[in-house]
Amino acid sequence: MMANPNLQGTSVAAQPGSGEIRLVNVTKQFGNSYAVKDINLTIPHGSYCCLLGPSGCGKTTILRMIAGHETPTSGEIYIGDQMVVGKPPVERGTAMMFQSYALFPHLTIQDNVAFYLKMRGVGKEERRQRALEMLQRVQLDHLKDRMPAQLSGGQQQRVALARSLITNPKVLLLDEPLSALDEFLRLKMRGELKSLQNELGITFVHVTHTQPEAIALADMVVVMDTGRIDQADTANIIFDKPKTPYVARFMGGQNVLTGTVEKSGNGVLKLKAADGSIYETAHAASSAAAGSPLSVAVRRDRVSLKKGRGNGVNAVNSIAGIVDATEYQGSYVKVTINVASDVFVANVSDSAYFAEPVDTGDPVVANWKAEDVHVLSKVDSGVAADHGH
Amino acid sequence: MSASPSYGSRPWTFYVLAALFTLFVIFLYGPMIAVLILSFQGPSASLVFPLRDPSLMWFHELFSPRRTGDVAGAFNRSLPLALIVMFLTVLISVTAGFAFRRRFRGSTAIFYMAIASLIVPGLVLSIGILVTFRYLGLTASWWGSALGAHLSWALPFGLLIMFAVLGRLNPSYEEAAHDLGASRWQTVKDVVVPIVFPGMIAVALFGFTLSYDEFPRSWLTVGTKNTLPLEIWTMTTNVTSPALYALGTVTTIVSFAVIALALSSILIIQRKRSRGK
Amino acid sequence: MSPSNAASKSPLTTYLQVAPLMLVLLLFFAVPVALVVVVSFFRYQMLVGIVPDFTFRNYIDLFSNPTTWTLYLSTVKFTLITLAITFVLGFWIAYFLVFHVRSLLIAIGLFLVCTVPFWTSNIIRMISWRPVLGTEGLINSALIKAGVIDQPLQWLLYSDFSVVVAYVHLFTLFMIVPIFNSMARIDKSLLEAAVDAGATRWGVVWNVVLPLCKTGIALGALFVVTLVMGDFFVVTVMSGGLSGSATSGIFNDLQFLNYPRAAANAVILLIVVLLIAAAIFRLVDVRKELVR
Repeated sequence: MMANPNLQGTSVAAQPGSGEIRLVNVTKQFGNSYAVKDINLTIPHGSYCCLLGPSGCGKTTILRMIAGHETPTSGEIYIGDQMVVGKPPVERGTAMMFQSYALFPHLTIQDNVAFYLKMRGVGKEERRQRALEMLQRVQLDHLKDRMPAQLSGGQQQRVALARSLITNPKVLLLDEPLSALDEFLRLKMRGELKSLQNELGITFVHVTHTQPEAIALADMVVVMDTGRIDQADTANIIFDKPKTPYVARFMGGQNVLTGTVEKSGNGVLKLKAADGSIYETAHAASSAAAGSPLSVAVRRDRVSLKKGRGNGVNAVNSIAGIVDATEYQGSYVKVTINVASDVFVANVSDSAYFAEPVDTGDPVVANWKAEDVHVLSKVDSGVAADHGH
Repeated sequence: MSASPSYGSRPWTFYVLAALFTLFVIFLYGPMIAVLILSFQGPSASLVFPLRDPSLMWFHELFSPRRTGDVAGAFNRSLPLALIVMFLTVLISVTAGFAFRRRFRGSTAIFYMAIASLIVPGLVLSIGILVTFRYLGLTASWWGSALGAHLSWALPFGLLIMFAVLGRLNPSYEEAAHDLGASRWQTVKDVVVPIVFPGMIAVALFGFTLSYDEFPRSWLTVGTKNTLPLEIWTMTTNVTSPALYALGTVTTIVSFAVIALALSSILIIQRKRSRGK
Repeated sequence: MSPSNAASKSPLTTYLQVAPLMLVLLLFFAVPVALVVVVSFFRYQMLVGIVPDFTFRNYIDLFSNPTTWTLYLSTVKFTLITLAITFVLGFWIAYFLVFHVRSLLIAIGLFLVCTVPFWTSNIIRMISWRPVLGTEGLINSALIKAGVIDQPLQWLLYSDFSVVVAYVHLFTLFMIVPIFNSMARIDKSLLEAAVDAGATRWGVVWNVVLPLCKTGIALGALFVVTLVMGDFFVVTVMSGGLSGSATSGIFNDLQFLNYPRAAANAVILLIVVLLIAAAIFRLVDVRKELVR
């Protein structure tokens, strides 16, 4: 999943022709509201980067600023070693694939692909030939004389891809490229995008609001929340070790718990929740002072369930509640539990679940190990919605 | 949010085109404003600027038939005619618009006939209607032949507007109403008409103003009594006082009142819809 | 015009719904136009009037008369000039409103500002040029005051110039509306895609915007052509009777109650208009537009 070595070494000086993207203190204001505020981000050359977040979080604005379709209110954007703010898109070495694909409806798909060459004054014969070669690459050469409206969604997307790639870009920008496709095609195209990126070795920046898409594709996932970057990391770290309660919630798969620090040091951190529950973590790098509030996260699939009311005493790393709903997901069962103030989710493997099934209304106790507790860098404000999967 | 506007600095073309647009608006309204001002000309009776001793005398003159012809009479014909045309245009183009939502034998022919009726020169049609009435042994009159002539021009407009409005009307509204037990008439009355009502106001506006201002199609078809545009036409040749401008001001004010009424009622409906009642 | 499968209406209902429209169109369009064609082959006799007959006399009269040709030539000239000016104005004004005005509400407001005069009287709008263009009009007195000229410009009013001014004033709207309509439907990302591909500002207009509003342009051109070709009144009022148009002949014949020749002239006018309309639609290739 993290095949690209570039991500490990932090940015080496960008070479000319490099597709490294650097955003420095970028802010974009529309009227009085900020679309993005003071963003710093480095996307290494040749990586597959996904900008992930709910709609309105500013991810598309970032993409469009990199593409040159929006001008930042302040800040700098570098592609390679070139400062590109104010430059026309064609000088940036970027190519954009639009959410609607933006195929010219009055041109055949061959002329669509050849459009860039036409703009550069390439002769008719040559540009037709080169466009045809590009169409062969996406296996659509047999449809070259069709109009875009005569193609299926998947075919239109491949044409859009071909049209972007003919510019020989260093960076390919994809704005929700899979959102218009049905589930089956989406998975297929997802695979094709990934292998295309491997083959070309150029930087892909892909905007999406779907977590599985980002995790499946990206070397680098940038999770955004209302104009800010919450975390930029490998997919694995984002999923397994979210930095903030927002990321933990948005990525799903995590339970966020909050309490005050009781004891910290010796690699152990002890947390006391409002209801008296005690949470402990085994490898606490955090140097939180005793008495300060702190949030931690526990992966849903690291939780085990037991039927019953518990023993009344507050056991460490355990929470008791009533089952609210069960959802069968194939390889696991998602059990939602109503606890004192919140909901708690356990993803129980199907074998474990069917060995001791629980049903709505059953009292249960959830347990987890200290080493599965992960400390978050921010205290949960409890506002983020549940994006559970 | 994919097509959110770019708030970079405006390109130079913006300023060039903004200037062009401003000039065009001045070109469009400037002369009308000049006439408006000059209709208040004083007793000097000058047809050009400057405006001396502003007065309302030419408006009074307008409605005293001794010099300026039968303005009041013409107005009394033009207004009801425009209202009848408006009413019939709404009625006929709305019902026909619904018919066109489904394919039927002859739909293409009727559609092209409507388009042809739109582009045929008004004078040609005027002669045709006159000859037709003559052969039918009927006398041309504003409420007969002129009404038909106006309809032949207003209906295609109304039909095109209804196409645009109904094209955007999702058939599932009607299906939903049907599912919920509404009869066909209830569906039309309680679902369809309220939804397309702004479009119907637009059709009414076209019907009224096209008739109220129509000249070439009225010319041979009104018979012996003039409508307002014909009266103005006669005045252009024999009236050389600002009374002509005063008449222009009065008709323009009527037009603007109708436009304002139509546009503001559309606006109010849209606002109610977006805010809730 | 999407066919509704909502309530399965019987065809009878549908025909009842179009019946009023059909009736009006038949009675006030189809029959009159057909009669014009028929009458154009009738004979005209002084004092007697129309005599049913079948003669090409009226057409031969018209085609052998050099005045007819001069009048048509002059009308075609006005049509082409007006078409060129209204197209340039209409295209760029629509372009400005659609692609340069950032707020949709303001764009709609400005669009309405352009359309309101359409709903007011054409004759008044023509007359209103008199105090502006006349010998003592606003422009002449301003130019004299500014010292640019010392004699008023005579060609401002009652000339070909003022005729064109009036046509542009009256008919530009018919260009703006359809072009605005088709432009507003262009997906903005198409423009960005063209810019991505390295198209200049002008390249975007030429390669993307212009081809995509062909239908609107054709519709606008159709309106302008038929309105100018069929006009009699603007050219009479604004040229002060100095210029004629194709319809002047019709007007003259009608004064002498020579209906057959007026009808023949009307038929010729109708054919010319239809030919131009057909040519416009051929240029745009509407069928291709309809397929996609």
